[in-house]
Amino acid sequence: MLVLNDDLSDFARAIVRGEEPSSRVVTSYQNYSVAIAIEVYRNNYRGNLHDTLAGAYPVIEQLVGKDFFRLLTRQFIGQYFSRSGNLHHYGAEMAGFIAAFEPAQGLVYLPDVAALEWACHCAYFAEDAATLDIGKLAQVPPEQYPDLILHIHPACHLVRSRYPITAIWHAHQPGASGDFHIDLDSGASNALISRKNDVVVVSALTEGDAAWLQGIQAGTSLGEATATTLEHYPDFNLQTALLKLVAQNVLANFNLGAAP
Amino acid sequence: MNNRQILSAAIGSLLALGLVSNASAAGKKMDMEQCYGVAKTGHNDCSSNKSAHSCAGQATKDRDAEDFVAVPKGTCAKIAGGTLKSA
Repeated sequence: MLVLNDDLSDFARAIVRGEEPSSRVVTSYQNYSVAIAIEVYRNNYRGNLHDTLAGAYPVIEQLVGKDFFRLLTRQFIGQYFSRSGNLHHYGAEMAGFIAAFEPAQGLVYLPDVAALEWACHCAYFAEDAATLDIGKLAQVPPEQYPDLILHIHPACHLVRSRYPITAIWHAHQPGASGDFHIDLDSGASNALISRKNDVVVVSALTEGDAAWLQGIQAGTSLGEATATTLEHYPDFNLQTALLKLVAQNVLANFNLGAAP
Repeated sequence: MNNRQILSAAIGSLLALGLVSNASAAGKKMDMEQCYGVAKTGHNDCSSNKSAHSCAGQATKDRDAEDFVAVPKGTCAKIAGGTLKSA
């Protein structure tokens, strides 16, 4: 028995995978054969996903150029189907895809830049959260400070890379001069992505700050995260880190004791 | 300074900033209606009718059929060492 679901699956396979549509798929446009109508539809499908990826990965597109980016997205689209009605969810696997994409193997930093861009993309659409309530913090007795569990804002991400991805990202933002020269050997970078007043901000963290933030992100208490960080990074300055992270809207809330 | 003193000093400096932070938090609430205004090009703003435009521009057959030699030709040339190392 034929059911609507089978017809839709047939149609979807023709669009998404490029398979031959079954004879049950018909077109109401007299001037088009089914094959041509499917091709037009398919091209729109892929064109929209290409634009979606170009919107999420504008730095990657600039780095490799439009033609190469089109080739890259075409292969990505063939491999990863859109699985959500919300196009903003499409493209999450790009960093891993680029890492395995043979023609891009020479650009070793590209997967990390893609991870940074996806973090920015997610930060932009992340839910909102109240900023750290300083008045509430003032009511915590100092002897309980070590037990504080700090919550990270949903828009906050940390992307750590062996390459200077923060500098690469900034060199490709609207308004940047375009006149830059980046030495790939200039060192690792800890990119902090946060959102403040609806604008996504990317800044660089020191190794110590990044290690501390990772501990906090993992739900470690303030006292423990700080002690562990100081063990590995004696230069870590909690005061500087806290002021910077609060200014970047990274800390959202807190509770005392075990993580919720 | 022991750990406890470090925490007290650091949180103390946050508390000192309290008034400033709360003022900017209030400012943020005022900005909420900008949500639609701040969507820049490249941010996939669905309300911009962008998808409709892309459909109109691509009402053709599959134009990706031809293959070409895949060589990145963007700004990656300005990143020294970027093409010399292999993963």
